[in-house]
Amino acid sequence: MEEIVLDIVSSFPSCIRQQSLVATPKVIQNYVYSRPPPWSDTLPTIFVITPTYTRPVQKAELTRLANTFLHVQNLHWVVVEDSPRRTNLVSNLLEKAGLNFTHLNVETPKSLKLGLSWIPSHTPRGTLQRNLGLHWLRNSFSNSAPPEGVVYFADDDNTYSLELFEEMRYTRRVSVWPVAFVGGLRYESPKVSPEGKVVGWKTVFDPNRPFAIDMAGFAISIKLILEKPQASFKLEGVKGGYQETSLLKDLVTMDGLEPKAANCTKVLVWHTRTERPTLVNEGKRGFTDPRVEV
Amino acid sequence: MGNEELWVQSVLEMPKRRDILAIVLIVLPWTLLITVWHQSTIAPLLAVHKDDGGDSRRDLAAGLDSKEYCLSDRDIVEVVRTDRPVQKAELTRLANTLLHVPNLHWILVEDSQRRTPLITRLLRDTGLNYTHLNVETPRNYKLRGDTRDPRIPRGTMQRNLALRWLRETFNKNSSQPGIVYFADDDNTYSLELFEEMRSTRKVSVWPVAFVGGLRYESPKVNAAGKVYGWKTVFDPHRPFAIDMAGFAVNLRLILARSQAYFKLRGVKGGYQESSLLRELVTLSDLEPKAANCTKILVWHTRTEKPVLVNEGKKGFTDPNVEI
Repeated sequence: MEEIVLDIVSSFPSCIRQQSLVATPKVIQNYVYSRPPPWSDTLPTIFVITPTYTRPVQKAELTRLANTFLHVQNLHWVVVEDSPRRTNLVSNLLEKAGLNFTHLNVETPKSLKLGLSWIPSHTPRGTLQRNLGLHWLRNSFSNSAPPEGVVYFADDDNTYSLELFEEMRYTRRVSVWPVAFVGGLRYESPKVSPEGKVVGWKTVFDPNRPFAIDMAGFAISIKLILEKPQASFKLEGVKGGYQETSLLKDLVTMDGLEPKAANCTKVLVWHTRTERPTLVNEGKRGFTDPRVEV
Repeated sequence: MGNEELWVQSVLEMPKRRDILAIVLIVLPWTLLITVWHQSTIAPLLAVHKDDGGDSRRDLAAGLDSKEYCLSDRDIVEVVRTDRPVQKAELTRLANTLLHVPNLHWILVEDSQRRTPLITRLLRDTGLNYTHLNVETPRNYKLRGDTRDPRIPRGTMQRNLALRWLRETFNKNSSQPGIVYFADDDNTYSLELFEEMRSTRKVSVWPVAFVGGLRYESPKVNAAGKVYGWKTVFDPHRPFAIDMAGFAVNLRLILARSQAYFKLRGVKGGYQESSLLRELVTLSDLEPKAANCTKILVWHTRTEKPVLVNEGKKGFTDPNVEI
């Protein structure tokens, strides 16, 4: 696990108090402050798997996502590009961000991109990429000595509160919580009994799915991922809204779920979506300099 | 460390500050955030925790040209709470970015009649230095139904209120260094941007992505490092063909030109920035940042309105659960 020393911009000596200096091979000359918090040997690790793909807002999305993750202790970001090659844009961003990361890539074949969708405008993307992330985890850690930690699937356009990561950190098997702006609602949420057990799903869209929950609404312990090496997201023949179920059914039953976020009464993650920018004035030949990275 | 105060608090105890840079961010659209950087630890400004009993308009009127903030006789004002569903999400992720920026003071101006509890709580919980203000843009019920006065561009009154607050808070002769930056809450900011703007002497400028129908708009910088024009398709001959997120102003300049405000009415689309900047600076005075305006450090992202169709008429989810 890499630790990073951050150089201090000399004109702001008082910022030293925010700094944490650690001996390392790598020195970032850029900005001032201590990011991320120093790695702890005792805190469970949060492995965040983010599928991402090239489009104009990609760098912006990953930038603000990184800005959030930089506050979370013991976070390891697994970024999986939907691309035949790892791109310079993502490579450079990850290098500069200062996070612990792993950079992977796998390209979704065009046939799959079309076939997976029942709403043409909302092709569920990221399946191959998430599975590759799981594959990397299983290859990196042996089942005999699994690290303490969780896996969380974080899309690059959602919004995450810092509290969310602390809620998921101590997941024993699979933990769940509400997610805003999914299913045509202000939020969807697991139904939690007075005894603190998940007994159903507060959704309008198909509440009888085995796991009527969004990708951003659950986390899985590493131990469980390693225990069940066959559990993956199903690639084909998955009905809309059933992708999460295709993984979770092989890992846990409903009554084994751990409700978080004050027994699923608080919203700590929002399924925000970013508009596609209008680039109409670029015209046919392009107006801006294509070498300037956006 | 949070500061909530009615802007009209003219008797503020000024903490002693060492010579430092303060950066002020003003964020839009429904809320404006202004961030002021102070290098030293700031003794809290006198905060008066008052209930928002609709004091805002009355307080604003004090010492102000009342026509600017009160409704004119012709308008019928419909008081409607604006609850933008994504507001908390936007401010959360913006806060997550701002938390990395040293010596930042966030001034958030709500476009509402009262400071809302959601924002109040959010600001307090971030741990950031902040000031929480509000002023409501009058709605023009007659002309456009339930829309705001179309003649006043969104956010203008809020930005102006923040400028006014700054001028009330900081003495004109104050040596308090500071930078003022206006930011929308749905834009995306790199941490590098804040470092770039720190050294602003008068007004600094840089490229902004996803504006003007382009990948980015940018100032034109010559070999001598001076701004001489604007690389835009839309009206490049504007005095300042630049997006709100593309410039920062030294606080000294804001205080010195105390009459400089964003024009409220009669501003053509795309000219709002010019309406302020022409009172502050000339083209040749502009300081190009971001490697002479060749790097993108801020993106004018916009968040989709979430689909809430399944709430139906009576609402499906618990309205007491805050999103």
